[in-house]
Amino acid sequence: MLGNYFYHEIIRKTIISFGTLFNNISIRHEKGDGSILDETKVGLSYGPMQKFLAKIQEQSELTRPIAITLPRMSFEMTTIQYDSTRKTGVTQTFKANDTTDNKTKKVFMPVPYNIGFELNIFTKLNDDALQIVEQILPFFQPSFNLTVDLVSSIGEKRDIPIVLDSIDFQDDYEGSFQTRRALIYTLRFTAKTYLFGSIADTSDGLIRKVQADVYADTNTKTAKREMRYTAVPNPITAEPGDDFGFTEEWTFLPDSKDYSPTRQEDI
Amino acid sequence: MSLNPFFLQGSPNEQFLVQDLINEQLKIYGIEVNYLPRKIFKTDNIIREIQSSKFDDSFALEAYLNNYDGYAPDSDIMTKFGLRLKNEISLTISRERYEEYIVPFLEGISHGIEEGLIGEFNFADLIKRPKEGDLIYFPLGKRLFEIKRVESEKPFYQLGSSYVYELSCELFEYENELIDTSIEEIDTTVEDEGYITYMTLVGSGVTAVATAGISTNSIREISLNNDGSGYTSTPTVTFSAPNSGINTATAVAITTSRANVQSILRLELTNGGSGYTTAPTITITGGGGTGAAATCSVGGTQFSVSSISISNPGTQYPIAPTITIGSPGVGVTATAVAGITTDNKLDYIRILNPGIGYTQAPTVSIIGGSTSTLNIAANNSDAYGAAAGLTALNGVSIQPNGTGSGETGGFNIGQSYLGFVGTATSRHAILTPIDSSDFDTMSINAIVGNDSNGGEDPDATNEELRLHYLESGGSSFKSISINPAGDQILSASADVIIALGAGNGALQDFSINIPSHAKGSGFTYMLYQGANSNSEHDHYGITNIKYQSSTIGIGTYIFNEVITGESSGTTAVVKDFTNTSSLTSLSLSINTGKFSNGEVIVGSSSSARYTVLDYDTDSYENTYDSNEDIEFEADNIIDFSESNPFGSY
Repeated sequence: MLGNYFYHEIIRKTIISFGTLFNNISIRHEKGDGSILDETKVGLSYGPMQKFLAKIQEQSELTRPIAITLPRMSFEMTTIQYDSTRKTGVTQTFKANDTTDNKTKKVFMPVPYNIGFELNIFTKLNDDALQIVEQILPFFQPSFNLTVDLVSSIGEKRDIPIVLDSIDFQDDYEGSFQTRRALIYTLRFTAKTYLFGSIADTSDGLIRKVQADVYADTNTKTAKREMRYTAVPNPITAEPGDDFGFTEEWTFLPDSKDYSPTRQEDI
Repeated sequence: MSLNPFFLQGSPNEQFLVQDLINEQLKIYGIEVNYLPRKIFKTDNIIREIQSSKFDDSFALEAYLNNYDGYAPDSDIMTKFGLRLKNEISLTISRERYEEYIVPFLEGISHGIEEGLIGEFNFADLIKRPKEGDLIYFPLGKRLFEIKRVESEKPFYQLGSSYVYELSCELFEYENELIDTSIEEIDTTVEDEGYITYMTLVGSGVTAVATAGISTNSIREISLNNDGSGYTSTPTVTFSAPNSGINTATAVAITTSRANVQSILRLELTNGGSGYTTAPTITITGGGGTGAAATCSVGGTQFSVSSISISNPGTQYPIAPTITIGSPGVGVTATAVAGITTDNKLDYIRILNPGIGYTQAPTVSIIGGSTSTLNIAANNSDAYGAAAGLTALNGVSIQPNGTGSGETGGFNIGQSYLGFVGTATSRHAILTPIDSSDFDTMSINAIVGNDSNGGEDPDATNEELRLHYLESGGSSFKSISINPAGDQILSASADVIIALGAGNGALQDFSINIPSHAKGSGFTYMLYQGANSNSEHDHYGITNIKYQSSTIGIGTYIFNEVITGESSGTTAVVKDFTNTSSLTSLSLSINTGKFSNGEVIVGSSSSARYTVLDYDTDSYENTYDSNEDIEFEADNIIDFSESNPFGSY
């Protein structure tokens, strides 16, 4: 019943959009005299990955000399949930021009979904974590809007608020000296995105002719029409994305007839 | 006394014996590891952590591997943050060996571990024992372990003393700590780890070549009377047709944004046109803005630079090169500006001021990129100008190609040349002023008379060719061996370009170092021959004069040396340096900031100097980091065009 193939990569695009918020965060370390020792861009990746790929990528030499490089951030999608508060009419549609085939498409209103994300920050020092978190939090009050081209073929750009829901952190500094201290901050977000269904061609919708009959009086029951104005695109085959003009025509009609929209003829 | 005094619980001699036996066993059954003490840059006394440290000492020490249970199958685990290794080992080292071998060294180096300002923590006492946080380089597998815990009472007081330390170690978590022990095997363990940025440098690129065309009745100067407002794209500039001919002038508008209003900054000529006997009208249209208006003047019968064509766009220009156009001698020197393409080639040269008074097409020098050379054709009178009350040329003139025979036939070198042939007591040629800050040598292509090649041999005192200079705002020329204050600080012969007896009778290059006191912005140079017998004698012929920078683009950066950007002041530590014919690049860690394209990078130990072609702040080696991939994909789908009216993030 459903199986009409379509894939707009909207969830993937939402993941990318969320990730790019954090791809340029740096931390600094100082020397004792206050001068900068180093500035490090914090590595960011989408957390889940194929296990064998992680192994061969990060441990290409089996005797890797160190445990891990820090600081690192990872993010992952944790939930997908329907958001009834943003529901729109299920039968409502809009028309859009598809730039790939230059045809008019009928698009049903998108379905609002909330996608939950987790951003994890793993640092060696508490100060590193504080630097990172402090560079993130002021932008969320509690949301930050991104304008994302969700369905590029129809140029459908939507504002997607990314809402910061909660901040947790784990600092395992207690315990025996056989275990390491682990400093992990976890920030949870919700991206309020929209999922689009199949986008179909539509035969209707394009107005290719405008016609207006002009009467000598506002009472059209008694008055008879005098002139007719028509306008058609030039060329007539023009599509919405084309650069086209109009051909306008005024016709003198002293024939005392009326136009019937239903029969589409003068009677 | 509570214990039986007739039985010893371990005499010192017994303890020494046990310690010696242990030391011997460790040397027989142990493994040679390296102990790397931690040096601290900075501590935070509130949130109580050591914020930055380095490891630049190493002590080889024998250690017994108690167990390697930490090499179990679950020692490599998949985490949210990629792969994390948790290999652990336990090592036993001799207490005596540590105290007698390592401690004295640590006492000698800045209290052992201090490097920067240490606040509350006082580690001075800690150098007596191995410390948690120090590193062990374990040669089997070439790994770096961090000491997590030091146990000193196991075995428990045999004969009343303890003889060993047991070190519990786990693989090091690396955060760009400098590891610079001078032992290559250790230092290179982290060569490819951590945050490493990548920089391509200007290597052996191709120098762009451009030629200028001059014309009469062309555009002389453009005045922008109204810079307009509201431009969303670059407007079109059109000139009305010339009074005669079809060579209509063309120009492009450069827009700028002032207080969020996009207006026109200036108009740059791409073609000065010709046939304009009266000033054309300039129309600025399109671009979504209004109000811009400009007028111009025309050059009349005098020649101005009307076009500059690029015959070779060159390669490896990190920033737009400086364009220097030869002087007309008398008149106004033209100025131009260049732009580069995204692949670092010369894109265009546009005329800012077409100049006036040219008698022939001037040279176009393109300075920047891989070669910093200002090339001047010596046989062009535009290259010379009067200065400090002296005429441009004295006893010197542009000579046609000669016969190449005898002492006075003139040099036969296939072209005209600047000839030192006149009758003046001393001969000189004064070059037009330049900014010589970045130049280190002057090289001239010259022929010296040898009595049979068309010129006579300069062979008497003061007949050599020397280099004099005039500093910006100076009143008289000085030898480059004399500083601007008038002190003779170099040997009197340091200004000799062509010494007596030099030269092989044919065209060849002669070069001279320009000392630092004799170069700068607005400096003027003079080729000077102090004496000559008369016009029949002591001849030089010069075809070309080059100012060159010889210190950029040479040297080899050394692993772990600190490099500094001359403009940005940013420093970083070299991880790797590649220098091949097709690529010159640096991998860097511990960056203190960002380097800018076009600046010169100097190595602290190697003194290597190269210009940055492109600097990439994304982590180069770390396979975990996807920052760049995420940003690239996001750029295709996120709309950044809508700005926040309340300010930008």
